[in-house]
Amino acid sequence: MTGFLQNTFNGLVSGAFYALLALGLAVIFGMLRVVNFAHGAFYMLGAFGAYVLLTEAGVPFWAALVIMPVGLGLLGMALERAFIHRLTRLDPLYNFLLTFGLTLILQDLVKLRYGVQSSPYATPSALSGTVDFGIFDFPAYRVFILGFALAVCVGVWWVLTRTRIGMVVRAATERPELTRAFGIDVGRWVTPVFGFGIGLAGLAGVLAAPMRAVNPLMGADLIIVVFAVVVIGGLGSIFGSVAAGFGIGLVQAWGEAYLSAFPIVSQTIVFIVMAVVLLWRPAGLFGREEAPA
Amino acid sequence: MTSIVDTPADAARPAVPSGLVTVARAPGWVRYALLAVGLAVALWLPNGLYAAVAVDILCWALFAVAVDLLLGFTGLMSFGHAAFWGTSAYVTGLVAIHAGLPFPVAVLAGALAAAVLAVPIGYLAVKRTGIYFAMVTLAFAQMVYYVANEWRSVTRGENGLQGVPRELFGLDLTDDYYFYYAILPIVLLGLAAAWRIVQSPFGRVLVGIRDNPARARALGYPVHRYKLTAFVLSGFIAGLGGGLFAVGHRFVSLDVLHWTTSGKAVIVVVLGGIGTLWGGVLGAGVVVLLEDWLSFSGFEAIGLVTGGIFVLVVLLFRRGIWGSAAALALRRMAARRR
Amino acid sequence: MRRTVGVAAASAAAMVLVAGCGGGPQSGGDQKLTGDKIVLGVLNDQSGAYSELSGKNSVKAVEMAIADFKAKHGDKAVTKDITVETADHQNKPDIANSKAAEMYDRKGVDLILDVPTSSAALKVADVAKEKKKLYFNIGAATTDLTGKSCNKYTFHYAYDTYMLANGTGKTTTEQIGKNWYILYPNYAFGQDMEKSFSAAITQAGGTVVGKDGAPFPNTSGDYSTFLLKAPTLNPKPQVLGTMQAGAELVNVVKQYNEFKLREKGVGLAVGLMFLTDIHSLTPAALAGTTYTDAWYWNFDAKNREFADRFQKETNARPTFAHAANYSAATQYLEAVQAAGTDDADAVVKNLEGKTVEDVFLRNGKIRAEDHRVVHDAYLAQVKPQSEVSEPWDYVKVLKTIPAAEAFRAPSSDCKM
Repeated sequence: MTGFLQNTFNGLVSGAFYALLALGLAVIFGMLRVVNFAHGAFYMLGAFGAYVLLTEAGVPFWAALVIMPVGLGLLGMALERAFIHRLTRLDPLYNFLLTFGLTLILQDLVKLRYGVQSSPYATPSALSGTVDFGIFDFPAYRVFILGFALAVCVGVWWVLTRTRIGMVVRAATERPELTRAFGIDVGRWVTPVFGFGIGLAGLAGVLAAPMRAVNPLMGADLIIVVFAVVVIGGLGSIFGSVAAGFGIGLVQAWGEAYLSAFPIVSQTIVFIVMAVVLLWRPAGLFGREEAPA
Repeated sequence: MTSIVDTPADAARPAVPSGLVTVARAPGWVRYALLAVGLAVALWLPNGLYAAVAVDILCWALFAVAVDLLLGFTGLMSFGHAAFWGTSAYVTGLVAIHAGLPFPVAVLAGALAAAVLAVPIGYLAVKRTGIYFAMVTLAFAQMVYYVANEWRSVTRGENGLQGVPRELFGLDLTDDYYFYYAILPIVLLGLAAAWRIVQSPFGRVLVGIRDNPARARALGYPVHRYKLTAFVLSGFIAGLGGGLFAVGHRFVSLDVLHWTTSGKAVIVVVLGGIGTLWGGVLGAGVVVLLEDWLSFSGFEAIGLVTGGIFVLVVLLFRRGIWGSAAALALRRMAARRR
Repeated sequence: MRRTVGVAAASAAAMVLVAGCGGGPQSGGDQKLTGDKIVLGVLNDQSGAYSELSGKNSVKAVEMAIADFKAKHGDKAVTKDITVETADHQNKPDIANSKAAEMYDRKGVDLILDVPTSSAALKVADVAKEKKKLYFNIGAATTDLTGKSCNKYTFHYAYDTYMLANGTGKTTTEQIGKNWYILYPNYAFGQDMEKSFSAAITQAGGTVVGKDGAPFPNTSGDYSTFLLKAPTLNPKPQVLGTMQAGAELVNVVKQYNEFKLREKGVGLAVGLMFLTDIHSLTPAALAGTTYTDAWYWNFDAKNREFADRFQKETNARPTFAHAANYSAATQYLEAVQAAGTDDADAVVKNLEGKTVEDVFLRNGKIRAEDHRVVHDAYLAQVKPQSEVSEPWDYVKVLKTIPAAEAFRAPSSDCKM
């Protein structure tokens, strides 16, 4: 039982990263119809930024947790104005390709400057202990990640449902033409929303820095799993992306713990789940059916 | 859903046709001249280039044409075609090693295996279009990658399948120079098949589906089945390329299944020109030569160059090399006529 | 369709024509030195995971070897025209394959050095065999290079999976703890390592209490399932042996510390670790960890002297791969000097069975049976941060493993 709870807890922690990344992808997709391939690269930049801030300017983790998402959000807004904006009127595939190219560039820029060796980043001292849950104790940092990620997801949910900005974004996501017809200027929200999504990826990156190897390729394979997560959750769905993120984290942790005799299954379980979902509900668990094609 | 070939900028102008159509509309002698030049270059290639590089160009040309068949003519961007290229490479390698058959037979077996794999993946993927299709194919290809990685007793895992023979009725093909000429007919057949598919009534229906799926459906075409057929044919041609690649390198590694291989195929097509078919061949030449040159140049950031070129192409030259050249030629012709 | 067939027929005809005219590449003449010069080729990873522990600095090491060779022999040197060609194989076997062939065929390379990543290394061994040119592998760990894939023109320098497992498994069991939990990445390298480790541990009187294969590549980057399990096993393991390498090793170590396994009495032993890994994890994260090193820069005055010269060139301390590249280039040049020709067969004849002593090879011997280059290896332990007195001086050598014990006996799988 203790083992099961521990595995569940760890699954939720892994899921927290998927959820934050998928949430950012979903918000961006909703507003811009852009699937941001570079999302993994921005996650990497978040972690790397935290490392650079610490080693070259002595900026601690807590400050990086604010600086990096904001900084990367601004960078994202600049990129949106400079590149992505030019292609939004075209088929979304062009922006997918553009962000793919950007991924290669961002990865190599970091590689050129800092090499491929993983960079060191220590857990912040306030969270380096463990939390005692009675029947088992657990690293404090993991508890923090889970709580923090849940708070961010709930916060985003609150903004989207309870504020005027959120209403506009949701309306634009779900009925773009209708929203425009009501005379709401959707365009002015596009750039900030893109920046916000990138900021979430950066936030996930900073959170990952003390736990994961910080290197230029850390987001490269991860992004594919996150793509599977958003396909499972339903690409346009904010709630779906978060739920699928945590769900996939759980499924992977359980698979690793209880199906370790079948490594093929535990490796590919995400994609198996995706195949089943596509058979059963092509638009994803929480997605709306797209126009018939 | 607009297709990736028609940009609004294009739509605003009086229908600028794709490069392929341009060539088809060009006077007969232009078409024959282009064909002759193409064949002459293909025959000369290993005399001007290092033969192994020339072999790679041929394999990638097939791969690119396969991806363009979907992307340019069906409007489906597969970001997971490494699954077919790689599966065929493995099957070809296994057949060649264990059965000792002539390599063209092994390559055919590999390509058929790729086509068989394309059926279930295609069946699931064509339920979605556009960007979803790209993500779904990407994810399934990654799944195939993991399976090959784990199925070590067959694929030899990280060490790869070593020693794929180049058996062809006892001919000595160890020299890449002669091997190039041995595979050239197969590659030309593959390219000709792609050309036939595009020109056939079936190909025209695909373009119709690409441009207006709702209308195609209203006209009674089983859209999903058409897309699936295109997907399987594309998988087969990609498989031909992958099988030849395996024999060419005399071994198969997991890299043939990795998503970066899929990404490279898309880069090749976009660079050459989406929806131009022969642009992919051109793109293959450019990318393979560029990578070959970069890896000896001592410049570390290969991704910076390929990524940079790719971003520029997507932003500024969406028609790619072939498409831009064709559009230019067409404009010239129109000007002269006026 | 008729035209297509015509095209195929025409190209087939042209193929016969071109082949008949002897358009293929020409082979060289029979001078003492091909092209009157010696060309060394360094083929390794210059942009990926292994670029720091070997990469371009290995090219520098080879250049140092050439300079030293010229200085030593002066006018008596077999030639003064010795150059280095280098290429990046990006750890991809297909690129390694074409680059190796291109180096031998077009760049006039007489010897290829380094080639990390087992799959790429095995492929280059095939190329060397086919082209009948020399190849000294340094960067790859697979014992197949001296086993079923061995050949006359391929030599394996530095390390291999057997040496790593034997050194760390045996000595750690004797000196630190008898009960082990082994965590390995579930692919060829990891499985080889796990088998070799288990054998070495059992042989030394230890017990493998549990072992698990983690997914490879591990996209989630999470190892908590395994790390949580380790201290709950019965009997409780005293040592966690991790076979992960590179970024995955970094993940394991970070999470090992996060779950406070050292405080719970589970020590850490690492299958494969380079100085650059310790640098990136910091000694604090690894203090007390044991692993086997093929060479350590601050081991004695001779090593240190080389390390100082190397640092002047590169601003970094050498890893064992750098020192091994230096040594391999030196030994090749000396063999050419002794044979008076760069003819591969003559050089192989000179090298086989030779005993060698240089900055890298201590009690070195180039075995004729399987072309394994054996030498002393070292069981190293990472120092606590407080004992690190200068940058890059991260370990102390617990034990020198004599050359005769460090490597496996020649394998019967190897048929030259």
